[in-house]
Amino acid sequence: MTKTIFLVILQAVISFTCLPVSYSASDLIETTCKQTPFFDLCVSTLQADPRSSSADVAGLAHIAADSVNAKATATLNQITGLLKSAGDPNLLKALQGCVDKYNAIIQADIPVAIEAIVKGNPKFAVSSATDAANEAQNCENSFANPPNSPITDSNKAVHDLSTVLESIASLLL
Amino acid sequence: MANSFAGFFFFFALLVSHGIVELEASHHVFKNLQTVQSTASTNQPYRTGYHFQPPRNWINGVMVYKGLYHLFYQYNPKGAVWGNIVWAHSTSQDLVNWTPHDPAIYPSQPSGINGCWSGSATILTGGKPDILYTGIDPKNRQVQNLAVPKNLSDPYLREWIKSPKNPLMQPTAQNQINASSFRDPTTAWLGPDKQWRVTIGSKINRQGLAILYKSKDFVNWVQAQTPLHSAKDTGMWECPDFFSVSVSGQNGVDTSLNGPSVKHVLKVSLDDTKHEYYTIGSYDNVKDIYTPDKGSVESDSGFRYDYGKFYASKTFLDSVKNRRILWGWINESSSVADDIKKGWAGVQAIPRKLWLAKSGKQLVQWPVKEIKKLRANHVSLPSKLLKEGSVIEVSGVTAAQADVDISFEISDFEKAEVLKPSWTNPQLLCSQKGASVKGSLGPFGLLVLASKGLKENTAVFFRIFKSQNKYAVLMCSDQSRSSLNQDNDKTTYGAFLDVDPLHQKLSLRSLIDHSIVESFGGGGKACITARVYPTLAINNAAHLYVFNNGSEAVKIAKLNAWSMKTAKIN
Repeated sequence: MTKTIFLVILQAVISFTCLPVSYSASDLIETTCKQTPFFDLCVSTLQADPRSSSADVAGLAHIAADSVNAKATATLNQITGLLKSAGDPNLLKALQGCVDKYNAIIQADIPVAIEAIVKGNPKFAVSSATDAANEAQNCENSFANPPNSPITDSNKAVHDLSTVLESIASLLL
Repeated sequence: MANSFAGFFFFFALLVSHGIVELEASHHVFKNLQTVQSTASTNQPYRTGYHFQPPRNWINGVMVYKGLYHLFYQYNPKGAVWGNIVWAHSTSQDLVNWTPHDPAIYPSQPSGINGCWSGSATILTGGKPDILYTGIDPKNRQVQNLAVPKNLSDPYLREWIKSPKNPLMQPTAQNQINASSFRDPTTAWLGPDKQWRVTIGSKINRQGLAILYKSKDFVNWVQAQTPLHSAKDTGMWECPDFFSVSVSGQNGVDTSLNGPSVKHVLKVSLDDTKHEYYTIGSYDNVKDIYTPDKGSVESDSGFRYDYGKFYASKTFLDSVKNRRILWGWINESSSVADDIKKGWAGVQAIPRKLWLAKSGKQLVQWPVKEIKKLRANHVSLPSKLLKEGSVIEVSGVTAAQADVDISFEISDFEKAEVLKPSWTNPQLLCSQKGASVKGSLGPFGLLVLASKGLKENTAVFFRIFKSQNKYAVLMCSDQSRSSLNQDNDKTTYGAFLDVDPLHQKLSLRSLIDHSIVESFGGGGKACITARVYPTLAINNAAHLYVFNNGSEAVKIAKLNAWSMKTAKIN
C-alpha cells in the first residue's frame, strides 16, 4: 500500500516537474498568436507542428511560413487540376492568373521569408508575407463572378495563414 | 583632412567625387532558390528611361564610390526577388550615364558565406578606398568585414579582395551584441585623435542604436563604451548614415569637420515602419556622442528624406563639386507575381543634392543638375489663372518620360478650409482628401501618367488650409487611380510643406519616368516618390495635365516641361 502511494506520489512529482516545459511552450504560442488577427488558426497551425514545442518566436515564424507553403502548394495543385477541365474562357483566364500568383508565393515569397527569418532581416519576411496574402486575395478577386471562384476556401486559408505569418514576423522586427 | 584626400584626387585623372561608397540595405544570399528566371516579357512599359536600374533582376541599395562615380548595389543575377545577392558595380562620369562592370563582392569566405549585405566605403588617409560590409557567417550571424581594391591603378576598381582577418567586428558573449541585429556599417570618419570611427545599426529589445567602433588602422576595431546615439521604442536601426552639413549655403562638407560652421545629421532607416528619419544635432567628437537638437526626433514628429517609397538611402560627399549627394532605393509597388513577369524589381531615385535649409530645422534635396542634360523639347506655358475645374493638357513632351516644374501663386486666402487640430497625419489626410475630393484652395497640381479621359492618373497636388494665424500647405501624391490593375499597392502619400503661401510661390517639380514619379515641393523641402503601373497611360498614350479641383482659382506663375532623353544605364 505504502509502496503504491509512494509510486503514485513519485509519478505525480515527475509529471509535475515535466509540466512547466510544455506549459511555457503553449504559453509562447498563445502570447504570439494573440498578436495575430487569427488566434485560433494560429494556435492550431503552430501546435500541429512538433517543432513548436521548443521553438522561439523566430522558430514559430518559420513554422508559419512552412504552413503557408504547404497550403499554397495544395491550392496550386487544386488550380492546375481545375484548369484541365475548365471550359469557360473567363474561368480559364482567372485560373491561369492564379497559377502565376501561387507560383510567386511558393517560389519567391516563402523562400525569401524563411531566409529573412533565419538570417535576421525580418522586414523581408513581413513584406513577403504581405505579398503572399495579397496574391491569394488577388487570385480570389480575379474571378469575374460569374463564374464564381471555385477555390474561395483555399484562397482564404492561404490569405489568413499569410497574415498570421506577417504578424509573427513583425514581432521579430 | 583636405590634404589626404587631395592625394587621391590627383591620382585619379577623372576623379570626380569624394569616395563615400556605401551599400544600402541588407539582403540575404540564397544559394538555391530564387532562380526564378522569368521568360520576361518583351513588352516592358514600366522600365525607366533615365533612372538607374540593371537590365533585369533585383536591385537594392546603392553605393556610390569616390573617384569616378562608382555605384555598387546589391543585385540578384538570377531572379527578380532576393537571392544570390552579389555587389554589382557600375561607374559614371556624370551621374547620368553608366557603364556596368563585373560584380565586385560576392560570398567567398566564411565570414560572408551566407550573404554579403550592406556596407560603405571610406577613403583612407592617402586616398585608398576600403569597404566595410555586413557578412552573414556560417552560423547566420551578422558580422562586419573588410574588402580592399585588388589593384589601385585600375581606375574602375573592378576587383576587390576580402581581408583574411574577417570578420573584424562581431557579436560575442562579452559585447552581448544581438547577432541578428548588427548591420550596415557607415562610411568612417576621423576624430581629432586621428582614429577612425564607424557606426553600425543595432538594437537592444525595442531601443534602436548606432553602435560605435574606433580604429587606428581600419583593421583592428574596438567598440566604444557608449553608442553614438540611441532612441527608445524605435526598433532596429538599419542603414545608419552620419554626416555633417554646412550651416550656411549648399556646399557639402566632410563628416570629420566639426565646430560652429557645421551641424551633424544622423539618418536611420526604421525596420518597423520602413520609413527613414533624420535628426539634426551636434557631435561631441571627444566623447563621441551625437545629440539631436531639441525637437529633432526619429519618428513621424520629425523629418523624412522622402514621404513616399524611399528606403536604404545613403549620402556621399562629392568633393569635386562640393556637394553632398543622396541616393535612395525605390522598390516596387507591384505584386511579386508581376515582378517575376516583368523580370526585374527595384530602381534608384535620381541622385539628389542635399543641404541644410536656412531655418536650420530640416534638410533640402534637389535632383542633381546633371540630369538637365537629358532635357529636350522645352515647353512653357505663359502665366495664367487656373479656374475651378480646370484640366489643361501640357503637350509637346513625352509625358511618360518628362521633367515638369510648375509654380503657383495664390492671392486670395479668404476661403481656405480650416485645418482641424486632429489633422496631424498628412498621409492620412491625403488619403481621405484625394485629388477627386473638391476643396476650396486646392486640390491643384499635376496629373501625371494620365490616360486620355483620366481613367488612370497619378495626381501630385497641394491643398492650403488655414491653421491658427497662418496657412498650412499639404502636399499629396495620390496613386489611388494610377492603374486599372488592382494588384498594385496604390497607397497615397502626403507631407506638410514648410512654405508660406502668403509670401512665397508654391513650386512643384516632378520627374516622371514610366513607373516612377519623384516629386519635389517647395524647391525640395518635401519630397514624395511613388511607383505606379498604368495599363492605359503608357508611352505615347500617357498625358500630362495641370488641374484645379478647388473652388478658388489659383494662378500658374510659371510652367516649364521637358521631354527627358533616355540615359545610357547598362
